[in-house]
Amino acid sequence: MVPSLSDEAMGVELEKSAVYGHKFSTVVPAEATGDAVTRELTNMDLIMKLHYLRAVYYFKQSEVVDGLAITDLKEPMFPWLNVYYPVTGRIRTEAGSRPLIKCNDCGLRIIEAKCSRTLEEWLSVEDSSRWRPLVPEKVLGPELHFSPLVYIQFTRFKCGGMAIGYSWAHLLGDAVSATNCINLWGKFLKGNPSLETLRLSNHQKKAESPAKHVKAPQKPVPVKQVKLAGECWQAPDTCKMATCSFKIAETDLKKMQGEKQNHVPPFAMISALIWKCLAKNGNDRESKSATICRNSTSLKSSDMLTNNLKASTITLDSSAANIDLLELATLILKHELDELESIDELIDRNSGKPDFVLYGANLTFIDMEGIDLYGLELKGQTPVQVDYNIDGIGDEGAVLVLQGRGRTDLTGSIQERTVMVTLPEDQINQLRGVLSSEFGIA
Amino acid sequence: MAVPVFQGAVKFAYRFLVNNLVTLFLATAMTAIAWTLHRLGQDNIVDYSWWLLQQKPVESLGVAFFVSLVATVYFMSRPRPVYLVDYACFKPPATCRVPSATFIEHTKLINKDEKSVQFQTRILERSGLGEETCLPPANHFIPPNATMEASRAEAQLVIFSAIDDLMKKTGLKHKDIDILVVNCSLFSPTPSLSAMIINKYKLRSNIRSFNLSGMGCSAGLISIDLARDLLQVHPRANALVVSTEIITPNFYNGNQRSMLLPNCLFRMGAAAILLSNRRREARRAKYRLTHVVRTHKGADDRAYRCVYEEEDGEGHSGISLSKDLMTIAGEALKSNITTLGPLVLPMSEQLLFVLALAGRKLVNPKWKSYLPDFKQAFEHFCIHAGGRAVIDELQKNLSLTAEHVEASRMTLHRFGNTSSSSLWYELNYIESKGRMRRGDRVWQIGFGSGFKCNSAVWKCLRTIKPTVDGPWADCIDRYPVQIPEVVRL
Repeated sequence: MVPSLSDEAMGVELEKSAVYGHKFSTVVPAEATGDAVTRELTNMDLIMKLHYLRAVYYFKQSEVVDGLAITDLKEPMFPWLNVYYPVTGRIRTEAGSRPLIKCNDCGLRIIEAKCSRTLEEWLSVEDSSRWRPLVPEKVLGPELHFSPLVYIQFTRFKCGGMAIGYSWAHLLGDAVSATNCINLWGKFLKGNPSLETLRLSNHQKKAESPAKHVKAPQKPVPVKQVKLAGECWQAPDTCKMATCSFKIAETDLKKMQGEKQNHVPPFAMISALIWKCLAKNGNDRESKSATICRNSTSLKSSDMLTNNLKASTITLDSSAANIDLLELATLILKHELDELESIDELIDRNSGKPDFVLYGANLTFIDMEGIDLYGLELKGQTPVQVDYNIDGIGDEGAVLVLQGRGRTDLTGSIQERTVMVTLPEDQINQLRGVLSSEFGIA
Repeated sequence: MAVPVFQGAVKFAYRFLVNNLVTLFLATAMTAIAWTLHRLGQDNIVDYSWWLLQQKPVESLGVAFFVSLVATVYFMSRPRPVYLVDYACFKPPATCRVPSATFIEHTKLINKDEKSVQFQTRILERSGLGEETCLPPANHFIPPNATMEASRAEAQLVIFSAIDDLMKKTGLKHKDIDILVVNCSLFSPTPSLSAMIINKYKLRSNIRSFNLSGMGCSAGLISIDLARDLLQVHPRANALVVSTEIITPNFYNGNQRSMLLPNCLFRMGAAAILLSNRRREARRAKYRLTHVVRTHKGADDRAYRCVYEEEDGEGHSGISLSKDLMTIAGEALKSNITTLGPLVLPMSEQLLFVLALAGRKLVNPKWKSYLPDFKQAFEHFCIHAGGRAVIDELQKNLSLTAEHVEASRMTLHRFGNTSSSSLWYELNYIESKGRMRRGDRVWQIGFGSGFKCNSAVWKCLRTIKPTVDGPWADCIDRYPVQIPEVVRL
């Protein structure tokens, strides 16, 4: 049974009040970064500036977690931020000039909170918005000069479990950068003296040569221009969005493909699946085109903080509803993604304007499989669950495909994917209906 | 017309003659007597002495007795020397660091009054504080988490770190501490901080402990003075002096401008000093205390009220600084050096001063008063790092060079205004730079509420090698730094 909207809304409200006792503080890098150090924002950074990554890592109660007081959690952050000092900076915008980050060591905001529920009770709620009270919903602005780029919230559950909420402004870097950043903190927490010497290399803007002759034919960049409402760096809400999430096991995906030698990988399958479901009910545009987005997971130290995304739009001849599932999945798999070079022409070099959204400009499928979400360790203990979402998604909606936590049961090890879908409210319910009735996915 | 100003060689000759007048006189006299004796011949002297003893025994013995009496009285009434064996300053951990940008951001979030925030921003931009000053953990919260427990925690952190450091450096045992003096102006719990130290280190039950509170930023030198007096009364004793200021309970939550300065400038710090009058400590002691001069201008109402703790219109408690502060500080300093001058200045400077004074009084009132050159009396100056204005003012008044005030400016930059312990951070800076040589004289000047100006003069007993362990150990190579007039935040 699909829960009604008001029940869901009420569920969220209840959860919000279950988290209380908020205390705010700041952590800064251990060493002074120095005078007048700035970090330039590339065109890609500026395109992503209206998006925010929100992650919540859930840790079960254990001796390790009990033994970690807030001072133990904060202490390794100081040397950690020596490495990632730009995340402690603040945006500087002078009228008419390009925004940049002033690396003034202003700091990360840390929030401590308590929850009157136990971790088990919390995780048993499959409500996709359950993570909201556990991570700050902040955006940059209205005072850009005083808005932290990253927030971390530590929520202690009644049973002793802990949730770590992590909010990351996308202009700093993509999900790979964000995850590597927080995972490094986990390594500092464990204690590893060799990490002290890690350093970010100088952030180099890709040589943005002015108006180079365009290679014909250049694919259009899958972004949409928006007008900011007010001083905040937040995409305007033109329609109410909702999220839902579900898990799909790899084996289920394989079953859908039948007996085949080369199985289509999960991301393509899931994207095709959801696209078909949406196309059944959705409008023409959605049924015919969608953007595929992938993070680059190659880890070079010079790329520790970077927006290294590839995206491009697939346009179909007819509605996705009419295309066979496997065929659609293969199309998605084989579609080539671009480096997004042509964004240089979209953004004015001097002012950094106009403002764009990438995720949600079209129906966007974001491949986050390669991201080491469960790599955040608290002295060896890994999270039991990670909720991940992106705020600031445009009206066409987005689908994130994330690595699930591997489980083992009687049949062996199960690999699954977590899918988080953000869509206009009415479409969410319809999607759920279709998924459960036609594919048996709750 | 004024006292003529001498140049170069003439100046040098004048100073040499006047300062060494007594020595020169005695040297001449002794040479004359030796020559006369030599001329008389050895046998003649012996015969004459015998004759004197036989003929006038009473007078001879009387003279001998008198001479020994005078010598004994002289040696007995000399004050016991007070040695500074060693001292240690608290090095704040990186987890307490407060960059300027963070301070302003927190101020903005706590204080809704835009004008106050701008005022504090302007102060911080011109303050001369660097990016590494530290506030206690409670002040990193928005709003600050100022509980009694947090205040005690800060006190324990800063004081115990400094004392542990000192004990390691000097090998001091807990049972060897005879006198304990603690000064902390704005935090005075029950039991006192001195009791807290006695409890932690299991000090003797017959210890003489004192806890000075409310005496302001100059209380560090008051503690030294008290310890010195006690060391005159108690033979073969060690005195532990702890100077600190606890920041946690003193955050000002209101908007009155005169009370916002302490929030911006005061930072965490503490110092522990071991003083002793034991003869054997003379061998390893760093300094000997030669003078302490205390000046209190509290009899003047203006001076009394210039640093005043009170509640503002909204009931927030804070320390209000009056606009006359620099003038009053200048007057207090003048009073202090009037007393200190004759004790430390060489004869050459004193003579000039007296001549100028006599000239003003007797010859022509228009003669300029002569400001003695204190650079002749001291090699090093430690001026309380109360704020940039204080250091600037003193540099001007005493005609000091940039190098003389470098220790004060750099301490303000690296550690902020740590109140009574700042003098010890400054001394440590000078030592860490390898500038402290045997025989050097140091002048520590502290200012504080009351209004008080206190001076202490130390003489260095051994050249101190620059690999000094202390709060400057990891950053001394970066100093001195050029501190701009205004730092844009």
